[in-house]
Amino acid sequence: MIAALAFYVFAAILIGSAAMVVSARNPVHSVLFLILAFFNAAALFLLAGAEFLAMILVIVYVGAVAVLFLFVVMMLDVDFAALRGGFQRYLPVGLMVGLVLLIELGLVLSGWKFLPEAASIRFAPGVSNVSNTAQLGRLIYTDYVFLFQSAGLVLLVAMIGAIVLTLRDKGDSRRQVIARQIARDPNHTMVMMNLASHVGTKDLGYLRPTETEPEEAGDMPEQDHHEHAAQDVARGGHH
Amino acid sequence: MLVVGLGHYLTVSAILLVLGVFGIFLNRKNVIVILMSVELILLAVNLNLVAFSAALNDLAGQVFAMFVLTVAAAEAAIGLAILVTYFRNRGSIQVEDVNLMKG
Amino acid sequence: MTNWTTMNWTLAIPEIVLSCFAMAILVFGALWKRESFRMCSMMAVGALLVTAMLVVSNSSGIGYRGLFTNDSFSGFIKLLVLVSSALGIIVSLDYAEHENLRRFEFPVLIMLCTVGMMIMASASNLMTLYLGLELQSLAIYVLAAFARDQLRSSEAGLKYFVLGALASGLLLYGISLIYGFSGSMAFDRLATALSDPTKASPGLIVGIVFVIAGLAFKISAVPFHMWTPDVYEGAPTPVTSFMGTAPKVAAMALLVRAMATPFGHLLPQWQQLIVLVSIASMLLGSLAAIGQTNIKRLMAYSSIGHMGYTLIGLAAGTAVGIRGVLIYLVTYVFMNAGTFACIIAMRRRGRMLEKVSDLSGLAKTDPGLAAALMIFMFSMAGIPPFTGFWGKYFIFTAAVQSGLWTLAVIGVLTSVIGAYYYLRIIKVMYFDEAHEAFDPRPGSLTFVGGVSAIFTTVFFLFPAPLVGAAEAAARVLFG
Repeated sequence: MIAALAFYVFAAILIGSAAMVVSARNPVHSVLFLILAFFNAAALFLLAGAEFLAMILVIVYVGAVAVLFLFVVMMLDVDFAALRGGFQRYLPVGLMVGLVLLIELGLVLSGWKFLPEAASIRFAPGVSNVSNTAQLGRLIYTDYVFLFQSAGLVLLVAMIGAIVLTLRDKGDSRRQVIARQIARDPNHTMVMMNLASHVGTKDLGYLRPTETEPEEAGDMPEQDHHEHAAQDVARGGHH
Repeated sequence: MLVVGLGHYLTVSAILLVLGVFGIFLNRKNVIVILMSVELILLAVNLNLVAFSAALNDLAGQVFAMFVLTVAAAEAAIGLAILVTYFRNRGSIQVEDVNLMKG
Repeated sequence: MTNWTTMNWTLAIPEIVLSCFAMAILVFGALWKRESFRMCSMMAVGALLVTAMLVVSNSSGIGYRGLFTNDSFSGFIKLLVLVSSALGIIVSLDYAEHENLRRFEFPVLIMLCTVGMMIMASASNLMTLYLGLELQSLAIYVLAAFARDQLRSSEAGLKYFVLGALASGLLLYGISLIYGFSGSMAFDRLATALSDPTKASPGLIVGIVFVIAGLAFKISAVPFHMWTPDVYEGAPTPVTSFMGTAPKVAAMALLVRAMATPFGHLLPQWQQLIVLVSIASMLLGSLAAIGQTNIKRLMAYSSIGHMGYTLIGLAAGTAVGIRGVLIYLVTYVFMNAGTFACIIAMRRRGRMLEKVSDLSGLAKTDPGLAAALMIFMFSMAGIPPFTGFWGKYFIFTAAVQSGLWTLAVIGVLTSVIGAYYYLRIIKVMYFDEAHEAFDPRPGSLTFVGGVSAIFTTVFFLFPAPLVGAAEAAARVLFG
């Protein structure tokens, strides 16, 4: 009974926040409602016994994807008021399409029944005394290893894509060259001298490194905000 | 397996799907919200898969939901990357006002 | 029946080898300090050829617990996909030099996209289908936006991405309904379970409709074609060339296999839908192309039309029809690759040209290019003895044999309308005032154009091997 009540609460919040995602005026609010929607969907997954997926949804979606969205929304300096121009105009059409689709799906789904043979052609029937995570782990590394590897390739493509599209290597960015840093010789950068007391070194002026090359060695890599963005977008691909 | 009937899950997921499609229609100019609507559609699919998986007591649905999550994350990364390049070239993310290419 | 206990790792050797090559080239390109685009592209073409040999020598069977199937159908499609990817890379060599797109990621992305298409060709489970499709699509979204400093390229990428993501969302929803109804996602289990069509519930039918809609988007069939002209025009031309060939072949193969194997017994249910989509695509493809002045847009509408013709073969629902589909796809790939090689050669004083009027008087300034383009246009219009005619011939006979007279008649009529704009290009080239000559063509484009032109012209002399292979491949699906 409590579980059923929990279902209705979570489902109601899920639908409410999903509605806010598509209708909020400010995209930052949309992203925050998206996060709320993910949390509630994770709760529904838990109620259906999919514990591992619920955790993954929170970690991957809330932790990475939604934050990525938030980041891009903040980074792109967009005039959001201008983007709402068509909202009123499309509202009637959108509502109509949505309602028709919903009614159709409602008709189809209300009387859902399984194929009589469904139980016999299942691929991976659940086992009662093994945890959900362990069962999934057994499946994806054995029976579904092909798909697991393909999913890896999909992530690789996402990584290459995000980097190739957004990373700007301007050529003048200063990188740390560790080999040079280590190979530096004190003689090039330091002058040892004996000074009498109460005598300054004013007449020597600044001491410059004797070689030109170590100049860039010690600098921290310098990046503008574009490159930060590139890296973050790329990082999204890892998750 | 399920605490409430399968129909409840399917209804929630159908409403999510419709909201996602609705969001794409409604926010034609704002690509970021369109991307979020796509995420809602994929969430609806995952909810469906998990509910069926529980009702059938078959783990294949959950395995698939996991791959869908993976692909959706990859899709979000690429979508946002393309959006960022578009923004750099155009200075805005309005898709509709562009008349370089006509339908 | 399937042996569910074995993995048969070796069945996916071509895919594994190609992905390893892609990753090796990626590492090489990232570590090699100097300019590596050309060398990586050459290595990629080599890798594709090696993979093609592995495909030929690989054995048939079912592997990975039924997720992956090798048969003569998948072999046929894989070879075609590999050849068109190789042509796509060769065509990009010179273009990338001129347009400042020399980045080694380009061939790597094409290779990973090819892996995705090969997985699609072998998919025998809805999960494999989806992952292959996404691997392919994600790579193409990036490729379409590859010229990241050009507004129109990023816009093409964005449009393709948004609509593509929506399409795969709908496809997935369909898959989830099919799974929910029948309890399985494996093609052969679905086929056995659904062998009695009366048991199909409305939920299942809605699921199949969603799947068809998602795949129709990928082959740009009406009413899911809206993206095609914009994306074709905006994407860098070699990408357009690639996008118009290999992914279309793979998505069509996927549609054919998904309809024929698991839902083969539900033919009456989906046949009407395919017929409607096919008619709409043929009409739109031939009518909307007439007013186009940009040759890339024109090719977009032309490809919509060609996909309409190909769907006729699927609607026939017989082995003869599928044979027609396969032959049509082969002819389409070569016509398309050749035409785009000619379009990429349209460059005057270093600037790319895309208008049909820029071709005027080409016969005087560059007779070789004009002749090649003429061959492709005649072939697309379906004039014998070029391949385009034979593709249509096999498709229309299959339709007539299955009693789909309306489809065949509409097909012939739209071919006649379509001939108008193909012949207009020939008229512009041969009878209009000559402009300044194009820049000298690089050897890579001459190679692709020449190979395609020779295939398109002399196919009718030696049709037996291709027709035989297509026949064998089609028998796998409709025994």
